[in-house]
Amino acid sequence: MNKSKRIVITGLGTLNAIANNIPEFVQALQEGFCGIEAIDLFDTTGFRSKNGGQVKNFNVRDYIPQDYSIKRMSRADMLSCAATLEALRDAGLYPLPDLIKEKMGVAVGGGSGGLWEAENFYGEMLKKGVRKARFSKLSSVYCASSADRIASSLGLMGPKTTFMTACSAGATAIGYARDLIVNDYASVMIAGGVEPMCRITYAAFNALKSVDPDVCRPFDKDRNGLSLGEAAAIMVLEPLDVALNRGAKIYGEILGYGVTCDSFHMTAPDEQASGAVRSMRAALKDSGLSIDNIDYINAHGTATAVNDVMETKAIKEVFGKRAYLIPVSSTKSMHAHTLGAAGALEGIVCVLSLQNGFIPPTINYRDEDPLCDLDYVTDGVRYTLLRTALSNSFAFGGNNTTIIFGQYAEGGVGNG
Amino acid sequence: MDKNRRTHKATKVVVTGVGMVTPLGIGKEEFVRRLFAGECAIDVIKAFDTSSFQSHLGAEVTDFVPRGFISVKNLRRMDRTSSMSTAAARLALDDAGIYITEGNRDRVGIILGTSFGATDVTVQFAGTLLARGPAFVNPILVPNTVMNAPAGHASIELGFRGVNTTVTHFAVSAETALAYAVEEIRRGTADFVLTGGVDILSKFYYEALTRFRSLSPLDGGKEACLPFDEDRNGIIVGEGCGIICLESWESALTRGRQPYCEIKGFGLGSSPTSPTAWPDDPAGIKQTISRALQNAEIKARDIQAIYAAANGGKVLDAVEAEAYAQVFSGLKKQPLITSIKGALGESFSSGGIRACALALSMEKNIVPPTVGLVKPIKSLEFVAGDKREMRINNAILAGISFGGTYVYLVFANCDK
Repeated sequence: MNKSKRIVITGLGTLNAIANNIPEFVQALQEGFCGIEAIDLFDTTGFRSKNGGQVKNFNVRDYIPQDYSIKRMSRADMLSCAATLEALRDAGLYPLPDLIKEKMGVAVGGGSGGLWEAENFYGEMLKKGVRKARFSKLSSVYCASSADRIASSLGLMGPKTTFMTACSAGATAIGYARDLIVNDYASVMIAGGVEPMCRITYAAFNALKSVDPDVCRPFDKDRNGLSLGEAAAIMVLEPLDVALNRGAKIYGEILGYGVTCDSFHMTAPDEQASGAVRSMRAALKDSGLSIDNIDYINAHGTATAVNDVMETKAIKEVFGKRAYLIPVSSTKSMHAHTLGAAGALEGIVCVLSLQNGFIPPTINYRDEDPLCDLDYVTDGVRYTLLRTALSNSFAFGGNNTTIIFGQYAEGGVGNG
Repeated sequence: MDKNRRTHKATKVVVTGVGMVTPLGIGKEEFVRRLFAGECAIDVIKAFDTSSFQSHLGAEVTDFVPRGFISVKNLRRMDRTSSMSTAAARLALDDAGIYITEGNRDRVGIILGTSFGATDVTVQFAGTLLARGPAFVNPILVPNTVMNAPAGHASIELGFRGVNTTVTHFAVSAETALAYAVEEIRRGTADFVLTGGVDILSKFYYEALTRFRSLSPLDGGKEACLPFDEDRNGIIVGEGCGIICLESWESALTRGRQPYCEIKGFGLGSSPTSPTAWPDDPAGIKQTISRALQNAEIKARDIQAIYAAANGGKVLDAVEAEAYAQVFSGLKKQPLITSIKGALGESFSSGGIRACALALSMEKNIVPPTVGLVKPIKSLEFVAGDKREMRINNAILAGISFGGTYVYLVFANCDK
């Protein structure tokens, strides 16, 4: 690994349940705003839950210029393109200079992709028979479509990849994108994740009885499952020297990431927490940091009974006594669990926390669970200087990814 | 380039195991015998009734008995993509002589590519949801609707807990996974990484591909898969899983294993193309080959063989042949070109099976023929009719996808 090549974040873009852009997101995170409410994208009759974290007031043409074709785009494609444009503008890279396009790529974590649109197709297939169903509705069903749309409309010629590790996909995409730049396969990367709200996914989590009928309450004694959400979360990554040369605003730095597997169960986390422990340790090792260097943990914190205990246990095993001194919050309590986008969205939360000097709270919290006894920041936002933030993402299939972000400082973390 | 950079590149990544479940056989002995003999696995589809379609052929895996590879307990939770992947992963581990133990299991990982995953399961789940409502959906189906299910199931059955990732990018899904796996060995995050691709044939795809006008015979003529042939008239669908085992050269030496070959480098690229169209300009392919050659530190003249992506489609085969004509123009010794999709059909994440085949080609210095090729579209050194025996020092594995995404990998002989 080429440790001398530092990769920084120079642009951010998001649409999620509590914000339709980055400035709104900073404000909502600080206010502890809850975006989980009744879903109106589809009829929720018959489901265990009615709530979700839906993107509000998404008029696509407010975000994507008229000359940019949205024909046959899925909701996921549109959300990710909108967030990408915000991130590029934020990075001062829109319109894109031609020279950059040659080695600029896209890495996206996907989830439901065009399933929402495909549902119409499946409906037609059931009602009218397969012969009469319009297969054109399936042209954006697969998640790779979002990266293709972003790359082709911007004219990119670099690497293009879509990660499909469910809830850890967004985080893995960012880690992978960093590696592509470090090893010179790309010069600039658009990295992140996108997850649209869709009835099929909603039904799946309802069937597994893993959703809270009300709002999710991470780490609370009476927590009763997760709240599903949707989001697009995109970062622009580039080498530090390039960013400095062009005088770009630097949000922060990607210090390291780790990917491991539970090898335990497809949908339940390993209660021994081995996979989570190993992924945090792998990220620490990759970043060259010690446990004393971590200032904030953005937890996976889904608010399912098992996850929150498992994650708490994992944090204690990795950080020892220091676990009690590190603020740990689950911002899923505000923006809900955005599955394939979660790792990227919470990565953005970390970067904004580092840049603006605050720790976002865990909201909806009421009573203490004796098995979850860390500092979950349940008393509202805290304004404090942070040097580093660690973000956990654990997924179906036992896929775990941990990623560590650092505040940008000239000599690296600890020297700033 | 600094010193660290060279250390990273200096990690020589080798292939020490192959495992496959393919229409030409399960396990390497049968596969390689039939492949090199120029056998064709394309036949009338037996899995479902094709009488309502214009096309009737496919390359099916017909003799796969998952029980021979997978415990009953885990098997009942798996769909076909997962059982094929788990079986192929087991074969690759066995072939590499690796036994998963307490001591090594955190250092063994899997990076898998799949183009379409278990869409069938999603369709089944959606069908119940739409026809009968949320209360009737089957939660047992849910874990298999996520694309990372095969890698998750394989890790549970076989017990390894290292890096675990699933990527998707249409027809370059497997090649993308291979490239990522090479980087993970170079980065040192795992000692052994299983990597490849899986996709299955189903009536739903068949219907979709018919509607998207991809299947032979598009001209109404004789139904056949004829890669690089003037009379080609569309693709024939295949299925299967191919997985290779990667480790460092030092690790193979220490274990006393003679590798099949080395993966010396790779190139990643894209070109602006409509997401559902094949690229018609060779520029993206040429650029990606040049990146791969540069990464592997070799020249075009060092290549003796090409495992092509051509699948009998009108646009892809023409653009791929044109790219090779331009890249290798003027060379006295032209590389041999073969597409094994003439024998195996197009399975989209075919890169896994093709990587296995190429590793075996490198070991035996034999290039299998392009089944079906009679009238080549260009005067290139296509291997047609019979296999060719020739010393192969370097070969390339081509990955080209609709939507304009490219991944090229350089395989090199390492017995010198």
